[in-house]
Amino acid sequence: MAGGHIDIVALTKAFDDFVAVKDMHLEVAAGEFFSMLGPSGCGKTTTLRMIAGFEHPTSGQIILDGVEMSGTPANKRHVNTVFQNYMIFPHLNVFENVAFGLRRQHVARAELKQRVHEALELVQLGHLATRRPAQLSGGQQQRVALARALVLRPSVLLLDEPLGALDAKLRRRLQLELKSLQQTVGITFVYVTHDQEEALTMSDRIAVMNNGRVEQVASPREVYEEPATEFVADFLGVSNLLEASVDGRQGDACRLRIGEFALNAHMGEMSLSGEVKCVVRPERVRLLDYASAGANQLPGMVERVVYMGSATQVIVRLASGGQLQALTHNDGTEHDYQQGTAVQVQLPPDALRILPPVAAQAA
Amino acid sequence: MSRLRGRSLGSLMLGAVVVAYIAWSLLPVGVAFLFSFNRGYSRSIWQGFSLQWWIGPHSVFRNSTYAGAITHSLLLAGLAVLITVPLGVSLAVLLSRWRGRGTRGLSLLATVPLVVPELVLSLAMFFLVTRLLTFVSLGTPAQVVGQVTFILPLVVVITRGRLTSIPIGFEEAATDLGASSLGAIRLVLLPLLQPAILASAIVTFAVSIDDFVITQYMSSTSATQSVPMVIYNATRGGATPVLNAMAVVMAVTTILIAGLSFLGYRFLVQREQFGALETEPELTAPPITTVPATNEGGW
Amino acid sequence: MHPRRQLLALGGPGLIWLALFVTVGLYALVSIAAGGLDPILLTPVPAWSPLHWNFTVLGQVTSSFNPFGGGDWHLFLRTCIYIAISLTACILIGYPVAYFTAVRARRTKGPLLVLLVIPLLVSYMLRMLAWVGLLSPGGWVNSVLLHLGIISSQVNWLNGMSVTVVLGLIYGWIPYFILPLYASLARFDTRYLEAAADLGASGTATFVRVTLPLSAQGILAGSVIVALPMFGDYFTNGLLSGTSSTSMVGTLINSYAQSESGQATSAAQALLLIGFLTLLLLPYLRSSARANGVVVR
Repeated sequence: MAGGHIDIVALTKAFDDFVAVKDMHLEVAAGEFFSMLGPSGCGKTTTLRMIAGFEHPTSGQIILDGVEMSGTPANKRHVNTVFQNYMIFPHLNVFENVAFGLRRQHVARAELKQRVHEALELVQLGHLATRRPAQLSGGQQQRVALARALVLRPSVLLLDEPLGALDAKLRRRLQLELKSLQQTVGITFVYVTHDQEEALTMSDRIAVMNNGRVEQVASPREVYEEPATEFVADFLGVSNLLEASVDGRQGDACRLRIGEFALNAHMGEMSLSGEVKCVVRPERVRLLDYASAGANQLPGMVERVVYMGSATQVIVRLASGGQLQALTHNDGTEHDYQQGTAVQVQLPPDALRILPPVAAQAA
Repeated sequence: MSRLRGRSLGSLMLGAVVVAYIAWSLLPVGVAFLFSFNRGYSRSIWQGFSLQWWIGPHSVFRNSTYAGAITHSLLLAGLAVLITVPLGVSLAVLLSRWRGRGTRGLSLLATVPLVVPELVLSLAMFFLVTRLLTFVSLGTPAQVVGQVTFILPLVVVITRGRLTSIPIGFEEAATDLGASSLGAIRLVLLPLLQPAILASAIVTFAVSIDDFVITQYMSSTSATQSVPMVIYNATRGGATPVLNAMAVVMAVTTILIAGLSFLGYRFLVQREQFGALETEPELTAPPITTVPATNEGGW
Repeated sequence: MHPRRQLLALGGPGLIWLALFVTVGLYALVSIAAGGLDPILLTPVPAWSPLHWNFTVLGQVTSSFNPFGGGDWHLFLRTCIYIAISLTACILIGYPVAYFTAVRARRTKGPLLVLLVIPLLVSYMLRMLAWVGLLSPGGWVNSVLLHLGIISSQVNWLNGMSVTVVLGLIYGWIPYFILPLYASLARFDTRYLEAAADLGASGTATFVRVTLPLSAQGILAGSVIVALPMFGDYFTNGLLSGTSSTSMVGTLINSYAQSESGQATSAAQALLLIGFLTLLLLPYLRSSARANGVVVR
């Protein structure tokens, strides 16, 4: 089944007095690996369930390959789902689970057998066709769920936290497998997750959601490097948030003032004036000797040092008030930061990002 | 040390209470069984061993009233199972899968017969079938209707218990794969409900065989006497030990049928273990607890 | 996720069945209780329209239960006392049995459960029949008691003795008390006991402060399950006593229901009983609603 273009227009879903999805606009291109990322309760799963047909929108439209879907029940949509806990039918063996949808379409026996086996081969489960679900590991169940959905050749595959129940190591491996599987079958994947690492690793584009709204839709690199909102910056890994006032422009940079210190910022909304918020990622923060002098530096004092294996997190209390986190890679260089060490924190202009005002974010 | 001894003494006493209770609860029944082998006509004074109430012209199987009561009880129980189980299971599906308003009212309707004494329900149904729904004539039809009404809520309770442990996701998955709504219920929910269906059948059968009040109120001629009715009417009279023999035949039949079905139930539950992921172990209907737990309200 | 229309098509027959036989049945009960009498045959005529309801019989029945001079007040009081004693005995005997089976028993659990279920499969009537045989004049109970010198001559246990009726009620209903209590105790997480011991509680303190409060819901459920039918029980009395000196509410309603002229009265008594039991049940319903959110998962 070719296609797989999804257009979501002004979609709203309310449950009694709780609005799960608010006036959502989204476009997913055919063949795209698209992720919806956000904390629990942000509306991502509700959106997915509306695309699948399990929930009916309160208002708005879901258009699949040019056809508005509201009148089409779940069992008539060319959309299939991999459920959060897989929902492999426990009373049917692996073969019958995968054949379930084909039997509903009355596919002839020979073709059915062939397609089931192809689907099982695709997920490398050909040898387990006669197993019962209770005898499968979590990873194998996940593959059965994939095969069961893909055998129907949907134009869109919906995946609801499909790796959530698995352990971290298996999850990493399956991330790569899922991505290459998507490239093999070439259909649209809409992937719901609360794990930013999963979303960043696999997606072509990510929609970051919060409180029923889409905060940002962009490529993984963009949402990580250029978060459009405070929420996005925060949700995709810890971000340092600074409050500053704009103090004019300097070339293509914006001059900021934090307390008595001046900084240059290169990224984000450069045309603002007055009070602004800006973010900087911990791994872009550099720690220097207190004695070193230079541009874009803030003095402070180390408050806490947390060893985390590949990196060390240093929390610095700034002289201007507030805290900053710095992440230094444990690449063999010796540092000697201890509680109470006075340091200079350097914030490179191209890492300092001015966020758009809150009112603009909400719109 | 003193705490340990106190505890083991407590355990001993506890064990003694349990043994005493079980002896007290079963020995009288054993004695009643013994008296079915009494040579004389008394059901309380032992007069020597004989098989006359079991074999021969005076045996329970040759006594038309008693043998007829056993047949009638089994007939009622069979009909009750055939009607109550499908009716109750589908009602339970409706109640547990219904979303939005009206759930409480519907559930209340299904609980009323559980909290109204059986005598009151029987009286109400007696007036109903004698004054309004006169096409349900007293005798077998009314007895079946009465028993079904009385047992239906139990089947609903048993089935709903199991339904709450079956995530709606299975039905959603079936629909997602192209099954219609009723198709999802038939192809996925019903197979998963098998243990509850069997448990419902066992309970329905046992309660129907045991039932006295509503069966009596809905009865007509002596041909529609069930075993409990015969026992009730004959015990205070001068019935011979053949009465004991009949009661024992019925009890053994019930225990055998229930026991065999229970083995089937255990088999189903063990085979139908859900995948390790989607349900907590406690939700996968432990093999034993469900049956007794839902036997409540027995009479 | 299922469309309401299809769910209704599925569960509709069951709903209609209950609505017809339970709801309309209870309505028929009201219509008889508040109906009229056929002037010639003196049989009750149901008043199907609320406009024709006549509450004379209901009034008479209500006043018969008046504590000050009501004719049936003593019978009602007796019923409550019998049931209170029986219920207490059910708790005192049934709790240890259910507790042992659910919490303490390990390998014996399965066989024990079978032994606890057998009384339910052996019908109530057979179990009563067994006691009638044992308690009859010349029966084994009398023989044993005479032999032990506890009684000096044959006692007719089956002729209006309160002791016999109460023992019969306990014996008959206790299996129905034990099983729900067992089911509730089986869900009891024994790690609470370890936690209590860890926090320094003695065995007794653990039982009183932890186990008992956590099983209160099960005791209450079991009590409701046996107390409700006891209020409508006439057969235990009928088999073990047969005289009016031990009559209970169930006996009264059943005896009125046997004659056509008494049917309206029996219907009114049944209605009053429903009202009384509803009042009695209110605290239970409330507490079980509360407990469902908190203790019992």
